[in-house]
Amino acid sequence: MERTTLRNIVKRITSADEFKPLLALIALYLSSAVISSYFLSVYNQKILLLQATPLVLLALGETMIILMGSIDLSPGSTMALAGLIAALSSNYYGLDIRLSVLIGLLIGALVGLINGLAVTVAKIPSFVATLATMVGARGIVLLITGGESIYGLRGYEWLTDERFFVANMVWIMVVFVIVTYVLLKYTSLGLKIYAIGGNEEATRYSGINVDRVKIVTFTLAGLYYSVAGIMMDARLQAAYPWTGYGSELDAIASSVLGGIQLSGGIGSPIGSFIGAYILTLIANIMVLLGLNPYLQWVVKGFVLGAAAIALSRGLRYVK
Amino acid sequence: MDEREALRTVDLTKRFGGITALNKVSFDVKYGEVHAIVGQNGAGKSTLVKIINGIHTPDEGSIFVDGRPVKIKSPRDAKMLGITLIHQERMLFPNLTVAENIYLPLLAKKNMKAGISINKRMMEEIARKYLGLVGLEIDANAKVKDLGAGEQELVQIARALAEEAKIICFDEPTSPLSRREAERLFDVIRDLKKLGKAIVYITHYIDEVFLIADRVTVLRDGSKVVTKPTTETTPEEITRFMLGRSLEEFYVERQEKKTGKTPVLIVKDLYTKPSTSTGVPLKGVSFELNEGEILGVVGLLGAGKTELAKALIGAEKIERGEIYLYGRKTRVKNPAEAAKLGIVYLPEDRKNEGLVHLLSVKDNIILPLVDRLSHGKILRNRRIEENVAKDWIIRLQIKTPSAETRVINLSGGNQQKVVVARSLARSPRIVIFDEPTVGIDVGAKVEIRKFIAEVARSGVSVILATSDIDEALSLSDRLLVLDKGRALGIYTRGEIGREDLIRILSGEPLKA
Repeated sequence: MERTTLRNIVKRITSADEFKPLLALIALYLSSAVISSYFLSVYNQKILLLQATPLVLLALGETMIILMGSIDLSPGSTMALAGLIAALSSNYYGLDIRLSVLIGLLIGALVGLINGLAVTVAKIPSFVATLATMVGARGIVLLITGGESIYGLRGYEWLTDERFFVANMVWIMVVFVIVTYVLLKYTSLGLKIYAIGGNEEATRYSGINVDRVKIVTFTLAGLYYSVAGIMMDARLQAAYPWTGYGSELDAIASSVLGGIQLSGGIGSPIGSFIGAYILTLIANIMVLLGLNPYLQWVVKGFVLGAAAIALSRGLRYVK
Repeated sequence: MDEREALRTVDLTKRFGGITALNKVSFDVKYGEVHAIVGQNGAGKSTLVKIINGIHTPDEGSIFVDGRPVKIKSPRDAKMLGITLIHQERMLFPNLTVAENIYLPLLAKKNMKAGISINKRMMEEIARKYLGLVGLEIDANAKVKDLGAGEQELVQIARALAEEAKIICFDEPTSPLSRREAERLFDVIRDLKKLGKAIVYITHYIDEVFLIADRVTVLRDGSKVVTKPTTETTPEEITRFMLGRSLEEFYVERQEKKTGKTPVLIVKDLYTKPSTSTGVPLKGVSFELNEGEILGVVGLLGAGKTELAKALIGAEKIERGEIYLYGRKTRVKNPAEAAKLGIVYLPEDRKNEGLVHLLSVKDNIILPLVDRLSHGKILRNRRIEENVAKDWIIRLQIKTPSAETRVINLSGGNQQKVVVARSLARSPRIVIFDEPTVGIDVGAKVEIRKFIAEVARSGVSVILATSDIDEALSLSDRLLVLDKGRALGIYTRGEIGREDLIRILSGEPLKA
């Protein structure tokens, strides 16, 4: 009796969606600590957290979209646009910082809303619809800035200020991870998201308003990306027009590393949180070792490929 | 029959996880013979044929082809041995032409002298030759997606012949076919027999066994019950072997008829737009549906049954016509709105439109209710959800290890019960069942039919679209007969019998 319950517990843990990504993260932590004595230092760990934070937000938003069986290519551009608009509102038009942030967040949600409407009302495949907003939003950013950065942002210090050892924005990120987990696993919207990713037609015929769920989820994801944009403003104290360039791929990669199935319906946001952390860690350790920064891309590519193989092997046992 | 043994399996065993899907099954088929395998869902029929075709590998046991032991590790191995499978889900390329479909698998065979470039004329010639062998007169350059289900199946057979298959396995070939198409298929199978092919024929339908098979093997719960020549047994005996108990009632005869006279739904002269799916558009269908009534909708494949059902819930575009719901003129925009108005649709295509396979039994059942069951419509309430799901599991006798089991692990009959439960969980006023008992085992069929009768008794109006005419006749208060999108007539219970209905469906005029 004792033994069987223990075995059940072990089985439940090992079969959890987050188990493999977590194992990979622990392995990376251990090996990094061995390779570089500096890696585990408090300062470096704080940097790591800070670097991972915006990507985690992007990954969480992307995960909600992928769980529905769609894809979102707009996280990077949406992040840049939202960050820029917030920066302009406060620095250029002199609006109150809280209002500026709110405007930035609304801009992100608006891009998400456009994605959602494009996918549902206009019935454009999500890949194409979000490709359009990705290019379009980046275009707006470049038009407004003329390709120049906006420096000297003030009022964002509260995001980088530390409380309980780490910056406030890290705590905000942690809250988002928890909220997203609750949203997906404990709310009716969450079930609908998983159901759509599992079988969209069946969900439609069961009387769920699939289009509405998609619009809401895309909008929500856009909001997440804009939070990341505000965080970038705070970290750089500048709005940089190429912020988040290529980040959509990092967001998708984080989800894949975290065990989210691209066909939808399977995975946990905790997994993508870990995935985003793994990607950031790889970049971090390579900087610590003083390796050619372009090598990062090659290593990330290999890690992603290896993860895809490991996860698909595992899936065979799940099914 | 030339009595030479084509294929023999000895003590084949296959386990999936803890479940033994196939338990020491020995079986053989000779050249020029049709050997039928029957059994309920989950009996192991498909597992056996999948092992023979290299889709699964056996855990134990051996296979002999032409008396020699062989190892079949992949579908390619099977093809090389001359074994092919005509599958339930047809394995054709819908986007390619008939000729390309027949030719493409030949490229996989090493001995073909097909070069890198494809000779179009030769390809069409080959296709036409084999299409001729199965008696299919269609343009070899037609796209497969534009063909009917019956034609697609014949294309598959033509392809098998082109591959020079010696052993041809059929897995439930008639389930998507109309009666006429099925009869045509039987003729082709008889021709294959004459050509000396060995035929393994899996089916649910016992009458088919006695139409075309020489021998029949019954499987139950993964084990072989018996193998007998069809001349030495009867349908009743085979049914008994299948069920493991005597056959009481296949069909649920409804006794009372106390339907209200208030029409809940009136459809006037409904036309739908042609869609990309296989069916035909509706061309002027009118009927009324009364409270607590079961309206059977019958017709052959392509008659417009599914189109009618989907038009009523706003999943098919309506060109013109009027729909009155509860006395008010209505145009339903989408299934979500239909559900709000109290109309639910139980799709025919369980796999693609019915279930969310990755979700649990519980989540599948409560999916349409999840808002209503949640705290403040947002935060899910596991306890209430579980209670609701368990109620349905008991009510419909869904056999599942637990409410948390993923539906993908259930048998077909129990999966269908989950879909039924979900459709009714919302307490609808009108339910549209589209082929509710297709492709599930006999036991589940009877239970679902009983349940449909019970639903109507409780005052819900039912539209029952079915190609099983006995099901339609035994359950319906009135019958709407469709043909190519047109209504051939509406008949009240008792007005026409089985023979009349068959005659109407086969296009003969009803005798006065």
